[in-house]
Amino acid sequence: MTDHPAAPAAGKAPAGGPAEGALLSVRGVDVGYRTGRRTRVTAVRDVSFDLYPGQSMALVGESGCGKTTLGLGLLRLLPRTGVVSSGEILFRRKDGRLVDVRTLAREDLRRFRWNEAAMVFQGAMNAFNPVLRIEDHFLDTFRAHEGGRRRPRKEILEQSADLLTTVRLDPARVLGSFPHELSGGMRQRALIALALALKPQLLILDEPTTALDILTQRSIVERLAELRDELRFAMVFITHDLGLAAELADRVGTMYAGRMIETGTTRDIFYRARHPYTSALINSVPPVAGDLTVPQSLPGGPPSLTALPPGCSFAPRCAHAVDACSHTRPTLDVLRTRTEGLSHAAACLRTHELLEGATRD
Amino acid sequence: MATEIAASPPPGAGDATSARTDAPAPPLRRIWNHYAVVKVRKALVVVFVVANVTFFLGRAMPGDPIDVMAGRLTQNGMTMEEARAVAMNSLAYDVDAPLHQQWWDFLVGLVTFDMGNTINRPGVSVMDAIGAYLPWTLFSIGVGTVIAVALGLALGMVMAYRRNQFLDHVLSVAASVLGAVPNYLIAMVLVVGGGMYLGWFNPIELRGTVSPGVQAGFNLEFIGDAFFHASLPILTYVLAIIGTWMLVMKASTTEVLSEDYVTVARARGLRDRRIAVAYVGRNAVLPLVAQIAISFGTLVGGAIFVEQVLVYKGVGGLLLDAVNYRDYPLLQGLLIIITSCVVAANLVADMLYSRLDPRIRD
Repeated sequence: MTDHPAAPAAGKAPAGGPAEGALLSVRGVDVGYRTGRRTRVTAVRDVSFDLYPGQSMALVGESGCGKTTLGLGLLRLLPRTGVVSSGEILFRRKDGRLVDVRTLAREDLRRFRWNEAAMVFQGAMNAFNPVLRIEDHFLDTFRAHEGGRRRPRKEILEQSADLLTTVRLDPARVLGSFPHELSGGMRQRALIALALALKPQLLILDEPTTALDILTQRSIVERLAELRDELRFAMVFITHDLGLAAELADRVGTMYAGRMIETGTTRDIFYRARHPYTSALINSVPPVAGDLTVPQSLPGGPPSLTALPPGCSFAPRCAHAVDACSHTRPTLDVLRTRTEGLSHAAACLRTHELLEGATRD
Repeated sequence: MATEIAASPPPGAGDATSARTDAPAPPLRRIWNHYAVVKVRKALVVVFVVANVTFFLGRAMPGDPIDVMAGRLTQNGMTMEEARAVAMNSLAYDVDAPLHQQWWDFLVGLVTFDMGNTINRPGVSVMDAIGAYLPWTLFSIGVGTVIAVALGLALGMVMAYRRNQFLDHVLSVAASVLGAVPNYLIAMVLVVGGGMYLGWFNPIELRGTVSPGVQAGFNLEFIGDAFFHASLPILTYVLAIIGTWMLVMKASTTEVLSEDYVTVARARGLRDRRIAVAYVGRNAVLPLVAQIAISFGTLVGGAIFVEQVLVYKGVGGLLLDAVNYRDYPLLQGLLIIITSCVVAANLVADMLYSRLDPRIRD
């Protein structure tokens, strides 16, 4: 999937372009970080997927597998040292035009962000500028995306109040508050309200509920699910919490060492996982449904991105690895074809042999 | 946080409990006033302590005004007895007054804002002597600080945005060099280099605080002339402290640039200028506000050398005289007033800080 010419003209469907009707088509994306004058480490490698309007996809995997990097890369929000070094991020805008986020010019990119795709960050504790009131954050956001006539402050604040109400916050109290006057849960809701301000088509959530207590997590997740059904935005959410993924996602992508190693519907992943890593991940937490089994831990950690094994990256930790695994890199093969990006695919040489072992019903 | 769930039916009713719970309306203002009052009280204590230290420190130095003057007179061939007699007659200092008596007089003077007369300039009160010199020092240092801070903050921010690029490397080296050179050396280099070798200006004309014949007053001629004469001291102060400000601001900005709210601001599609000013700049400057006052205080100390080198008639020369001739009242007055200026600058910085950072308002 990496043989596309770089930088296709926006608007024209590039070779092997987006799937029909997809909102977001990611094609062979690599994301690298500069680590020295001439050295670079590739944190995300050759990731491709199609996301359709209204779908929600969970990205799961251990820390350091490239989930957050991929999320940031989709909006080109990487830190200074990071860059999307190849591939295409094709996005169908609200006006129907197809753009490659990777080649958007500076001002186009600015207008694209938040208006088409918004992001809710890991631990919203610091997502708000400590010296500005919540209302100023709304004003800034609306005004940055509204050309022409400057809308009166009052009008924007009324709209902001409505948004806060949709996430069950009391606008009268929250709008005039400074971020430090709100609790973590309130800040996270306020950020979600802010993210929905411009009615984006895509919402990227990077561990939206980590660092929150379990009851607050619950209410935020429930509200998020309701809002998605109401507003029909697509979601990509990055999480360590498999329970959350099972609940909120239509589909799941497992990442390991920067690659997407298994994708499928939530049912596929949780009941018929076909990659040993996905199975191990699922077996390491108590089951979402069914009898309580003893969780099994997965020893070791992901390999260093600077010294990946030549074959399957997971082979050194894999209980089912054979000789071939350490020198042949498996490709992401489709196991069951479905439409709208819901096909089940796994990157494992022994997928077929291990079918029974990895099944859990 | 359980209320967040339990009270979900009326939207937002159970939420927001932790926001501003203990803030009934009018006392907010009273709290703020109270905060200010506390700061002022502490400042007064500082000034009082420093004043007492100066009183005893001055007298702890070897020799008193009579000794010093008599010492100089004996070099002209007088005997020690004669010299002492002449000195005692011409100086307004009573050697026999006991220390506790002097201290009591000093304390009374402190409270009544009457610091008495100078010893070495009979008939001239301490307040008049200081009043004639101090404004020039405060003027030159004040203008220098404002320019240096404004420029330093701007350049520091540019360096942080372009860190590890060519411009950053050049400015970093320049800032480190400037920060390492003592201010009086900068003054000398300016006079010798710019005035004598390059001939950009005539250093003799620039001496003093105003040109002869120019009347003090609120008019363009006087103000222009004051700036003309203060230009070298101001330039010296700017060069002396701008390097530090650039480096400090660069570090602070670099830190703020990695904050989540800056990334979120970019994600929100805000314009670069808005992010630089309201999100990066404002937060980067916050921790530096207090340092502006400290920087001002350091400069007042450094002014002694700079004013000597540039022959600028500020408080520096006066202080040097007061120390050399053991002019206790003048020395005390000067140190108390200089201290008060620095403490006042700190106070202003404190107040400013509480206005700029909502987190420390309560």
